Amino acid sequence: MLKIEDLHVAVGGAEILTGLTLDVPAGEVHAIMGPNGSGKSTLSHTIAGRDAYEVRGGRVTLDGDNLLELDPDERAAKGLFLSFQHPLEIPGVQTMTFIRTAMNAQRKARGEEEISAADFLKRVREKAKIVGLDDAKIKRPFNVGFSGGEKKRMEMLQMTMFEPRFAIMDETDSGLDIDALKMVGDVVNELRDPSRGFLVITHYQRLLDYIKPDAVHVLAGGKIVKSGGAELAAELERSGYDQFIEAA
Amino acid sequence: MSSTPLITPSTLDAGLKAAFAARSKTSEAQAAAFERFEKLGFPNRRVEGWKWSDFNAVTRRVQPANDITNDNTVAPSVFAGLNPLEIQIINGRIILPESDTIDGIEFGILDSVGTSPHMEDHAIAALNVALTRKAFGFSVAEGVSVERPLLIRHINTGSTPIFTQTMARAEANSRVKIIESFEGAGAYYSTLFHLGVRDGAHVERYLLQDAGAEMVTHGFCGVMMGRDAQFRQTSLSTGGALCRHETHMLYPGPDGDSNINSASLLSGERHTDFTTIVAHQGEGCKTRQLHKGVARDRGRNIFQGKFLVERTAQKTDAKMTANALLLSDTAEANHKPELEIYADDVECAHGSTSGALDDDALFYLRQRGLDEHGARALLIDAFVGEVIDGIGDDGVREVFRAGVAQWLEAV
Ligand SMILES: Nc1ncnc2c1ncn2[C@@H]1O[C@H](COP(=O)(O)OP(=O)(O)OP(=O)(O)O)[C@@H](O)[C@H]1O
Ligand SMILES: [Mg+2]
Repeated sequence: MLKIEDLHVAVGGAEILTGLTLDVPAGEVHAIMGPNGSGKSTLSHTIAGRDAYEVRGGRVTLDGDNLLELDPDERAAKGLFLSFQHPLEIPGVQTMTFIRTAMNAQRKARGEEEISAADFLKRVREKAKIVGLDDAKIKRPFNVGFSGGEKKRMEMLQMTMFEPRFAIMDETDSGLDIDALKMVGDVVNELRDPSRGFLVITHYQRLLDYIKPDAVHVLAGGKIVKSGGAELAAELERSGYDQFIEAA
Repeated sequence: MSSTPLITPSTLDAGLKAAFAARSKTSEAQAAAFERFEKLGFPNRRVEGWKWSDFNAVTRRVQPANDITNDNTVAPSVFAGLNPLEIQIINGRIILPESDTIDGIEFGILDSVGTSPHMEDHAIAALNVALTRKAFGFSVAEGVSVERPLLIRHINTGSTPIFTQTMARAEANSRVKIIESFEGAGAYYSTLFHLGVRDGAHVERYLLQDAGAEMVTHGFCGVMMGRDAQFRQTSLSTGGALCRHETHMLYPGPDGDSNINSASLLSGERHTDFTTIVAHQGEGCKTRQLHKGVARDRGRNIFQGKFLVERTAQKTDAKMTANALLLSDTAEANHKPELEIYADDVECAHGSTSGALDDDALFYLRQRGLDEHGARALLIDAFVGEVIDGIGDDGVREVFRAGVAQWLEAV
């Protein structure tokens, strides 16, 4: 599904990813853990197509399609979704209008029919309830004045609405209360199926208790320095990253 | 009008003189106004308040547009759906609706034109006073509340300079909505609007400038506010070679309340200047002003706002905000917010910002599937939205919204 080979990425002139290789097969959930500043968000932004991230070498494909030559919206239309570590507030943009516009833009790009206003409304209400955003929250300008946790819920609302084929969740768990953490687990488990893949970036094992990952990778010094099963997360939580940073 | 086209400086000057000479009857006030204009000339950028809108320069390079056609059939207004009482001023000729009237509104063509003491040193207003022949006038009777809007269409299609006036009064406790649209692809259009909002009256004024790129427009609106009077104005302009709309408000008495909002959407070399002066004299008046300017290419967004708060105007509450969004390196925003306060117990503030589209927001929207155009359009629409959303009349709001959407198609 998502294949990353020997990826080199520079930001502001400095090379942050220095030959990263990762393969997430369809149907699997992989977790990435790693110290602050190790390049996790750099990886997520690069996969999503942010142009400030300069790809100096390597390949990124989704089901064989070369993502690196596509615009961010083309990647989105292919089913790529990024749950942002720091979701933005967009004043003046109505939440529902925006989500519906985005959804229809994706559908149009895929040659699918647009969702009707009525179907959209029904669905967004239903999903908002699941992620714990009340009606008033989705009738406001996008994320304006939202708490950190509410913004993460809004990311999850969009993920459940778009039903992406591949989702990158960049520290979605940071800033979430215990109930919300469980909600994120439920949302991921609900979407999980043999055709979808997930890359979950996190600092803590908590979320991984709900989402049992198929693999856990340690990102340090711009590379994957260690891969293992779900038990690796527990080991990291106990002993920290030092051993891996030295190894890298 | 029988003046000659605006082509070169000499023909412009000669044209204006000829136009003045050709007038059948000229009042002393008009003769004096013409003399005043001749002495002052079109303001250039060295004149205070005209730094960014150099009429002197632009009137010298105005190219003649198509000549006036005698065909007075005009396309239906974008406001037609609001079922307005429609007055057309086509190349200076005032055309009243034949059989249509609104109960409580009296209107007609006036022989005398207005002069106003505070326009003494305003060359363009003086020229207007000198050259306008007839004015459109209307008044709304006391206590009458009019639902249907009154639409004044300023249509300018020729190379002849056009001068028009409107004189209006909303009597005590009346309510009325006035829409003015500036249309066509003419050369030079100047209009004065004298508006009295009497005690307790509520007037909404909507101004839409969506006219030719080569048009030079000058609008001057003087508003006299009564006690407890309310005034709500929203303007939207896509500019022209030079387009300046001035609003001069005076609160001689207490408890007046106004919103004066504006938005400019400028592409190519188009220029819009919204200049306002609000003079607070009475106690406890409230003024809110919001300007949003968007410019791409070499568009020029000008905003000049001044709140004058005289010593007698205690408890004035006045806030002014101007924000510009520049979509290219060559686009310009020039804002001049000013407070001049002589009273001590007041709440006054102003703020001005200018910036580009936010890259983080653009990336966020594109990650969600919007293409580059869609993402930019959504953010620009959101930027201008505050002004559009503030429009009190549902029908007018939709027309303005459609105007913004149309502009955004080309972004
Ligand atoms: N625009 C930029 N200009 C310069 N350096 C940058 C820029 N963006 C990121 N960096 C640097 O790149 C490195 C990796 O940042 P990144 O955000 O990918 O880390 P991270 O692993 O996501 O960290 P965290 O766990 O704190 O979220 C950091 O040292 C950061 O300072
Ligand atoms: Mg990060």
